[in-house]
Amino acid sequence: MSGNGVHGVHGALQLLRSLPKVSLANLRPNPGSKKPERRRGRGRYRGRKCGRGHKGERQRGNRPRLGFEGGQTPFYLSIPKYGFNEGHSCRRKYHPLSLQKLQYLIDLGRVDPTQPIDLTQLTNARGVTVQPLKRDYGVQLVEEGADIFAAKINIEVQRASELAIAAIEKNGGVVTASFYDPRSLEILIRPVPFFLRGQPIPKRMLPPEDLVRYYTDASNRGYLADPSKVAEARLELAKKYGYTLPDITKDELFKMLSTRKDPRQIFFGLAPGWIVNMADKKILKPTDERLLKYYSS
Amino acid sequence: MEGGGGSSWGVHSVCQTPPRDPPPYPAVVESTEEFHFVERLLPPACVPSPPQHPSYPTPSGWIPPRVPPPALPYHVGRSRMHNLPLYRRVANGNRRITELRRIRGDIWALEKELREFVGQRVGKQPLTQVNELSGTLRLKGHVDNEVRAWLLLKGF
Repeated sequence: MSGNGVHGVHGALQLLRSLPKVSLANLRPNPGSKKPERRRGRGRYRGRKCGRGHKGERQRGNRPRLGFEGGQTPFYLSIPKYGFNEGHSCRRKYHPLSLQKLQYLIDLGRVDPTQPIDLTQLTNARGVTVQPLKRDYGVQLVEEGADIFAAKINIEVQRASELAIAAIEKNGGVVTASFYDPRSLEILIRPVPFFLRGQPIPKRMLPPEDLVRYYTDASNRGYLADPSKVAEARLELAKKYGYTLPDITKDELFKMLSTRKDPRQIFFGLAPGWIVNMADKKILKPTDERLLKYYSS
Repeated sequence: MEGGGGSSWGVHSVCQTPPRDPPPYPAVVESTEEFHFVERLLPPACVPSPPQHPSYPTPSGWIPPRVPPPALPYHVGRSRMHNLPLYRRVANGNRRITELRRIRGDIWALEKELREFVGQRVGKQPLTQVNELSGTLRLKGHVDNEVRAWLLLKGF
C-alpha cells in the first residue's frame, strides 16, 4: 500500500478520489473469507433424518415444555419461594464514589478543594451521575484509593465508610453524612432547571425513622449528631487507625472546613423560601410572617 | 352579553359590580448579595484545564503531556478530559483488544516502534491493525499498561 509516493491518510484520500464510486457492483468480500455454511437437510449425510433423530417426540416435534422432567416435580417448582428481591424497587441506593476518583477529580481541576464539596459540585464535575427517579438517595464514599488520598476537603455525602472517613480526616479534611429526600436531591443535582421554574426553594425533609439512627450517630459523622460527640469520634478513629489527627482550628481554611448546612437547607448560602431570578441575577425573599415562620422551622 | 327576558337558562347577566381589588400579596425583598452562592452552583460550560502541580505524577497517578510536544514523525493527542486515548475493548467475552486513538502523522512508524516495545516487555510482539484514515491502532490483547508506559516515555 505505501509506495514511494504518498503515504498514510493522504494516500488513502487520493485513492478515494481516483477510484470509481463505491456501489454494490464493485464490492465483494475477500476471496476465501466467506465459506458457505453446512445446512441441515442437504446432502447425503445431513439429509435423510435431517438431524431430528429416530421416531418419538423428538422427530415428530412434540416435546414437552421447558423444565418438564417427565412427571417428576421439576427443579423450578421443588425449590420454595423466598423474597430475595422483594421490595427491590423501594430500596434506597447510594452511588459509590471512591477516594481514587475523588482524588482524580481534584487533580484534574474538576472539583475545587478550596470550596465545600457538595453533591452539586460532584455532579457538575461529572464525577457521579445520580438518578433520583431510580431510588438513588445520593452518594456514598468508598475506600478504594484510601492509601493515595492526599487532599484536604470539606465533603458532604450521604453515607461514608469508616476507612474513607479516616482517610479524609487524616489529611485534615471534614466529612459529613447528610440526608436528602428525593425532591431535594433532584433540586440539588440540577439546580438551574429548578431555579428556572420560579418556585421557592423548599425545606429539606428530615430523614425517615429507619435512617434517623444513622444520621444521629457521631461515628458516621451524621449531620444531626452532637458536634462534641463528633469531635470525640474523630479522636477515637485516629487512635484506631493509628494516625495523629491534625488540628483544623489552626488551619487557614478553617472557616471553609467548618461550613455546614442547616438540616433544612439544600444549598450553601441560600435559605428555603427564597426564589432565585436567574435572568435578572436577583434573589427574592419572602417577608410575610407566616411564610418566614414556616420556612425557618 | 346581557341576558334578556327570553333566556330560559336563568343565567345571570354579566356582573355589574365593579371588579374587587386584588388580594394583598405580601411584599418581597430583592437582594443581590447572596447571588454569588447561586453562581457557585452553575455547571461549567467547558472542561476545565488541569491546574499546575508541584510534582508529577499527581496522587491519583495522572501525568500531563510534555510541553513542548516531542519532535517525532507522529503525535498522539490527549482526550477531552486530558487523558491518554487508550482503551480496552472486549468482544464476545474473550477477544481482548487495546485501542490507541487520536494518532496523527506517520502511523506506521508508531506502530513499528510500539510493536517492538510491547514485544520486549511482554515476550511476543502483538498483532496490530492500523486504520490510517481514522488514526487508530489496535493491538491484540490487553497490553494497555505497556502502551501507557511507552506513551508517557515519549511524552504524549
